[in-house]
Amino acid sequence: MNNAATPGPLLAARDLVKAHGRTPALRGASLDLRAGEILAVTGASGSGKSTLLHCMAGIVRPDRGSVTYGGQRLDRLPEKRLSELRRTDFGVVFQFGQLIPELTALDNVALPLLLAGTPRSRARERAGEWLERFGARGQEELRPGEMSGGQAQRTALARALVTGPKVVFADEPTGALDSLAGEQVMTALAHTARESGTAVLLITHDARTAAYADREASLHDGTVVTEDTVLEVTP
Amino acid sequence: MIGMSTRHILLGLLASGPSHGYDLKRRHDERFPQARPLAYGQVYTTLQRLVRDGLAEIEGTDSDGGPERTVYRTTETGSRELAHWAAEIAPPAPFVTNEIFAKVVVAILSGGDPAAYLRAQRAAHMRRMRELTAVKSAPGADLATVLSADFALNHLDADLRWMTTTAARLTTLTAEVDAA
Amino acid sequence: MTADLRLAWHLVRGSDRHEWWRIALTGVGALLATGLALGAVVLASLRGHHAIPVADGLLDDPGERAGVVAALLLLMIPVLGFLGQSARLGAVHRDRRLAGLRLAGATPWQVRRIAAAETGPACLAGSAVATVLCALLVVRTGDHSSVWTWTGIAVVAVGMPVVGTLTGVLALRRVVASPLGTVRRVRPRTRPGLMFFGAVALFLGALFASYLSLDRRPGTVPTGPMLVVSGLALAGAAALWLVGAAARLTGRLLAARTGSPAVLIAAERLRDDPWAAARTHTVVLLVTVVGTGFVGIRRTLLEVLGSGKHVSEDLSFYTTGLDLTAAAIGVGLVITLSGLAVGTAESLATRRRTLAVQAAVGVPRAVLGRALLLETALPLAPGVLVAGIGGAAIGTGYASLAEGGGWSTPWTALLVPVAVYAASLLAAATALPLLHRSVRPAELRYA
Repeated sequence: MNNAATPGPLLAARDLVKAHGRTPALRGASLDLRAGEILAVTGASGSGKSTLLHCMAGIVRPDRGSVTYGGQRLDRLPEKRLSELRRTDFGVVFQFGQLIPELTALDNVALPLLLAGTPRSRARERAGEWLERFGARGQEELRPGEMSGGQAQRTALARALVTGPKVVFADEPTGALDSLAGEQVMTALAHTARESGTAVLLITHDARTAAYADREASLHDGTVVTEDTVLEVTP
Repeated sequence: MIGMSTRHILLGLLASGPSHGYDLKRRHDERFPQARPLAYGQVYTTLQRLVRDGLAEIEGTDSDGGPERTVYRTTETGSRELAHWAAEIAPPAPFVTNEIFAKVVVAILSGGDPAAYLRAQRAAHMRRMRELTAVKSAPGADLATVLSADFALNHLDADLRWMTTTAARLTTLTAEVDAA
Repeated sequence: MTADLRLAWHLVRGSDRHEWWRIALTGVGALLATGLALGAVVLASLRGHHAIPVADGLLDDPGERAGVVAALLLLMIPVLGFLGQSARLGAVHRDRRLAGLRLAGATPWQVRRIAAAETGPACLAGSAVATVLCALLVVRTGDHSSVWTWTGIAVVAVGMPVVGTLTGVLALRRVVASPLGTVRRVRPRTRPGLMFFGAVALFLGALFASYLSLDRRPGTVPTGPMLVVSGLALAGAAALWLVGAAARLTGRLLAARTGSPAVLIAAERLRDDPWAAARTHTVVLLVTVVGTGFVGIRRTLLEVLGSGKHVSEDLSFYTTGLDLTAAAIGVGLVITLSGLAVGTAESLATRRRTLAVQAAVGVPRAVLGRALLLETALPLAPGVLVAGIGGAAIGTGYASLAEGGGWSTPWTALLVPVAVYAASLLAAATALPLLHRSVRPAELRYA
C-alpha cells in the first residue's frame, strides 16, 4: 500500500486483539490514520468500535497486536508516558461525561493547559478563545449541569483541541444530541481539524456523521473491513 | 419526485413579476441548489405550454442591449392554479418503486451477487453523502444550500439504513424469492 | 411481602461489592451502637451501691456510674456518624435501582419494604451479636440485674434495628416519591437541615431522661455531666457551621486564584457543595476539642494526685477512670476516622465514571489523588486549629482553677490537634487505592 509518494501513517494499529472478560471485542483489527485526515469508523453496536479507539488512544492496552504513533509503540509505553501523550498530542471527546461537573466551562477547557503548567490567567484566556471558536461564547461560567447537550459537547471539543493535539479521538460525539445540535458540533469539529491539520478518528454509527470524514472504515465482529466490503453477511 | 413539476415552479418564479426565459432558468438554479439544473430548451417548451393552456401570457419583448427576449407574465388562471398546487399535499409514497430493491430481487432471480451489488451501492451512497456534506459545511454556504443538501442527505441516509438491514437478511430473502 | 423479600434478596445478590461493603459496615455500626446503648441502659438500671468486679470500682457508685453512662452515650455520636456514612455507600446506585423499580410499576410502599429488607437484616444481625455479648457479660459479672435491666436490654435490642431501618427508609423519601429518582441535572445542595437539629434535640432529650432515671443523692445538682453534654452540643453546632463556612470560603478564595489543577478541582468541589463532608468533619472537630481538653485535664489531675494532697484516696481508682476515658476518646477517634475513610471512598465510588474519563483524557492520577486529599485537608485545617485552641483553653482553664490553681500549663495537649489532623489525612488517603481502581478504562464501557 505505502509507496514512496505517500508518507507513512501518523497512527497505525496492527492485528489488535482485545477481550473484555470472555467477550472478544477485537479480533485482529488493523487501521491506519494519516496525518490531517478525518477517518470515520462505523459499524454495528458491539462491533468493537470503542475498544479500537481506546487501544489507539493508549487508554487500553491490547491483548495482542501493536499501536504505533510517531515511531513509538503505545502498547509498550508506561502509564505515565501515556497520560502525558494523551495530554499533549491527543485530544479525546466522548459521547458525554468528559467534563468535570464542578468546574465551569472555562475552567474545564483550561484544565489541560493548567496540567501542562500554563499560568491560570493565560490558560483561561486561551480557553476563552477556543470556546469562542466553537460558538460557545457567553457560556464560560456555566457548569456542565447547566448546559444543553450541544453546549457541553462544544465545550468538550474546545477542551480536546485547546492544547493543539495531533490527533483527536471522538467516540460518538453526536450520540446524545439531536440532529441540528449534532450537525453544529460536527461542522465545528471538521472545520477546526482541517484548519489546524489535526487528524480525527471519529467513531459513529450514524452515516450522516460519518459523511463529515474524508474516509470511512467499517468494523465487523472485531475486524476492520474496508469500505468496499462493508456489508459482510453473517451466515 | 412525485408531483414535482417544472410548470408550477416556473409559475411560482413568475409570481414575483414578469420575466424572460433565461432569467427564469438562472433564478431556478439559484433558488434550488443541488437540484438538477433546468435545460434552457426545457424552460422554453414549458413556457409555451403555459401560454397554450392560458396560465401565462406574453408581456412583450425586452432587448436590454443584447439579443431580443420574450418576457412572460402569469395570468389570473395561472395564479389560481399555482395557489391550488402549492396548498395540495404531496401524496406520501403512493407506490413503492425502489430501484435498489428491484435490483436486489433481480440479482437473486438471475443468480447474481446481491451482496456485492449492495456493497457497491453503499459505497456510492457514502461518497455522495460526503460530497453533499462538504457542500453544506463549506464556509459561507447559504441556508437554501444547507437545507437542500440536508434533504438529500436524509434520504440517502434512509436508503443506507435500508441497505444495511437488507444485507443482514439476504439469506432469508434469497430463500423466500427462490421458493416463490 | 415474601415476594418483596425475595426481590430484595435478588437485588442484593446481583449487585456489586459496594453493596456488600455497605451491609457489612452497617452491621458493624449497628453492633457498636447497640453495644453502647446496652451498656448505658444496664448501668442506668442499677440502683445504689454494687460491688462490680471490673474497672477498679469505677462502676460501684451511682455518681461515677452517671459519668460512665454519659461517656457511653457521647460515644454514640461518632458511631451514628459512622452509620450515616455507611448507609450512604453506594447510595447513588441504590437510588437508581429503587427508582427503576418505581418506573417498572412498584408502589411507593413496595419500594419502602424492599429498601427496609435490604438494610434491616444487617442492623438486626449487628444488634443481635451485641445483645448476646452484653447478656453474657451481665450474667458473668455477678447478678446485679433487675427487671429493669432486662426490660432495658430487650427494648434496645428490638429498638435499634427498627430505628436503623426506619432511618434508612426515611433517607429514600425522594426516590420513593418520584420514579425518576434523585438523578437530576443540577444537584440539590445538601445543607444541615432540621434533621440535624432534630437529632441533636432528641439526643439531648434522651440524655436528660437517662440522667433523671439515675439514682442520685438528694440535694446534689446534676451539673457536671449535663454541663459537658450541653457544652459539646454547642461546640458541635459551632463546628458544623465552621466546617461548612471554611469549606465555602477556602473553595471560593482558592478557585479564583490557584494555578494548580489539583487545587482548582478540590476548591471548586468545596465551593459547589461545602456541606458534603460537614457531618464527618464536625465529629472530627468534636473529638479534637474533647481530646485536647482531656489531655490537658489529665496532666493536671495526675500532677494533683502526685503532689500528695489526696493520699487517703485510692490512686488506682482515679488512674483507671482516666485510662478508661482516654480509651473511650481513642475509640471515638478511631470510629470517626473510619467514617471519614468510608465517606471518602463513597465519594470516589459515586464519581468513578467521571474519574475514569478524566484519566482517559490525560489528567494524571496523581492530580486526581491530590485533589481528593485536598478536599479533606483544606476545610479541616482551620476547623482543627480552632478546635485545638478551644480544647487547650479548657485544659489551661482547668489547670488554673483545680485545687487552688497554679499547676503547670499542659502544653503537650497541643500535640492532639496536630495528631488528629495527620490521622484524618491518613484516613482519607486509605481511599487512594480505590482511586487507582476507579480510573480503570473498563469504567468507560458503562456510559
